[in-house]
Amino acid sequence: MFIFAHRRTLTLLDGEYGSVFKGRSLDFDELRSYVPGDEVRDIDWKATARHGSPLVKRYVAVRRHSVLLLVDAGRNMAAHAASGESKKDIAVDAAGVLGYLACRHGDDVGLLHGSALTSRYLPPQSGEQHLERLLREVEAGISLDGPASAITAQLDYALRYLKGRLLIAVLADEFRPDAHTEMLLRRLRARHEVLWLTILDARMAREPGNPAPTQEASFDVGNGQRIPALVAGNSVVRAAYATAMRKREEERSVFFRRLGIAEQSVGATGDVLTAVFALLEKHRSGAKSAKDSNRAG
Amino acid sequence: MELTYWWILPLAALALVIAARLLIRRRPQTGRPVAHGERLTDLPEYQNVLRRYKATLVLAVALGALFLAATATAAARPAQRTTEQPEIRNRDIILCLDVSGSMTSTDAAIAKVFQELARQFDGERIGMVIFDSSSVQLFPLTDDYDYAAEQLTAAQKALDSGAGSFFDGTWNGGGSSLIGDGLASCVQGFPDVDAEAGNAKRSRSVVLATDNFLSGDPIFTLQQAGELARSKNVKVYALNPGDFDYGDQADQPGGQLKAVAEGTGGTYFALDSPDAVPGIVQKVQETEASSYLAAPQVVVSDSPALPLGIALLAGAGMVILAWRLNP
Repeated sequence: MFIFAHRRTLTLLDGEYGSVFKGRSLDFDELRSYVPGDEVRDIDWKATARHGSPLVKRYVAVRRHSVLLLVDAGRNMAAHAASGESKKDIAVDAAGVLGYLACRHGDDVGLLHGSALTSRYLPPQSGEQHLERLLREVEAGISLDGPASAITAQLDYALRYLKGRLLIAVLADEFRPDAHTEMLLRRLRARHEVLWLTILDARMAREPGNPAPTQEASFDVGNGQRIPALVAGNSVVRAAYATAMRKREEERSVFFRRLGIAEQSVGATGDVLTAVFALLEKHRSGAKSAKDSNRAG
Repeated sequence: MELTYWWILPLAALALVIAARLLIRRRPQTGRPVAHGERLTDLPEYQNVLRRYKATLVLAVALGALFLAATATAAARPAQRTTEQPEIRNRDIILCLDVSGSMTSTDAAIAKVFQELARQFDGERIGMVIFDSSSVQLFPLTDDYDYAAEQLTAAQKALDSGAGSFFDGTWNGGGSSLIGDGLASCVQGFPDVDAEAGNAKRSRSVVLATDNFLSGDPIFTLQQAGELARSKNVKVYALNPGDFDYGDQADQPGGQLKAVAEGTGGTYFALDSPDAVPGIVQKVQETEASSYLAAPQVVVSDSPALPLGIALLAGAGMVILAWRLNP
C-alpha cells in the first residue's frame, strides 16, 4: 500500500516511483571527473590514483516522493467529531496512517499546519522519528483556545512557498468551500497531487424520527455561540437540519469531483484505516480515469 | 401601607446581586464544543425556534424577578396602619315605666321598641321596672337578650290589653303614680358604683316614661330621686306623653320632670303620640352611642395578601414555563 503518483517523477529526488532515470536505488552508477563543488568525501581515491585525475563516485540517489500532510490546526479541529471524539485525535490518527505508509514506502513526510493567523511548515524528511515529531506537532498545535481555523491560509501558503512536486494529503473538516478556495485548490491540483480527507463534524441535531434522548447543549467554537439543547431538539429544527446536511454533503462531493480531487470522509478513529485506504484507492482509480479522459481528449 | 421590616428589601437586593454575580462568574462554557455551528444556526427554522426560546427565557426571568420582589416584600411584612375609634357597647339601660292608666299605650310602644332593640344588643344590659304606687322589678339588668325580649313581649301584650296579673304589686303603696319612688327604685336597680369598680365605666341610663301627675305621698320626691340618680351616674331620659303644662313655669309637672332629667345629664321629651316613641328611643340610643366612643387606637394589621398573591401567580407561571422548557 502506498500513495500512488500518477505523474512520473522529473527529478532525481522523487522517490520510488516511475522515473525517467533508470536504475535501482542505492546503486553505484558511475565514476566521473571531479568538478569543483563536488563533495570531497565522494572522491574515489583508488580510482583517482589509477587514473591520475580526481574522480568522484556517483550513486543513483534514493528516489523519493515527498508527502506533505496539510493539517488544519485551528480551534475548529479541537471540537467534537461525529463520533463524539475530538477531531484532533482523528486528524492525528489519519496523519499517522498516511505518514506511516509513506515512510514504509521510503518517501519523505513533511507537515504544513496552522490556523488563520499562522502557518507552520516542517520540510519533508525521512524516518519514523520525523513522522513522530510531526504528529506531536499536530497534537500540540490544536487546542480549544487556539486561533480560528482557515484552511485557505494553508492552501495559499503551499501555493506561494512550496516548490517541487508534492503529494499533498489535506486533513480538514466540513467547511463550506467558496470560490476562492476552489481557485486555490485548482491551482494546487495543477501543481501537486492532492488528496482530501474530510473529518466529519459533530451532528448538531439528531435525526428526526427517533425519540430524542436528552441532548447535550453545545457551543460553536468558531464564535462561542451557545446552542441550547432544547432548540436543537425541536422536531422542526431537526428535520430542517437533516435536509440541510444532506444538501451540504451533496455539494461537497460535487465540489471535489469537479476539481478531480479524491475525497473521503471519516467520522471516528475506528474508521480511519478503512477511510484512508478507500481514499488511496479512490485517488488511484479516479485520477487515472481523469488522465485517461485527458489522453482521449 | 407600610413595611414593618423595611430593611429586608435592601438585604434581599444585595443578596440577589451577589448571587447573580457568583452565577455569572462561575459559569464556564458548558456543553460539547462543535465546529461550523452555522450548519444549524443559519437555518431559519432554528432561528425561529431560538427566538421563541429566548422569549420564554426572558419571561421566566421576569417572572422570577417578580416572584423574588413579591416574596421579599411579603417578608418585609407590609402592614396596614389604621386609626380606629371603637364604640364601647357597655350600656346599662333600665326601662322605668309608669303603668298608671293614662300611660299604658306609651308604655306598650316603649316595650315594643326595646323588644326590637334587645335582639340587636351586644354587650348592653337591659332591665325593666314598672311602678304605680309601688314598683315591681319585672326583670333585673341582664344580657340574656332572649329572656329580655320574651319579657318585653309579654309586657307589651299586657300593656296593650291593660289587664291581667301583669300589674300585680303596683298598687301596694298609698295613692298612685308615686313617681319619685318609682324612679328611685329604678336607680337602685343599678349595682353600686363603689362595690363594683369594674362597672364604673359602664354607662347607665333610665328610660323613664311618666306624665308626672303625682297623687299621694311619696317617700322620695322627684327631686330627691334625681339627686340619687346623679350620685349613681345615671342619666334619666324622660318621656312624657301628657305634657299639659301651662306656660314655662318650673313648678308645672312637665317642667319638674324636665329639670330632673336634665339635672342628671339626660333629656326630656314631650310625646304627642305613642308613634313618636321609636324615633325618640333612636335619638337616645344615638346620644348614648356618640358619648361612649373609646379613645382613638392605632391598629397595625399585617396585609400580606397582595404580595403573596402576586408571588403565587408568578410561581405558578414559573412552574408552567419550567414544564415547557423541560418537556
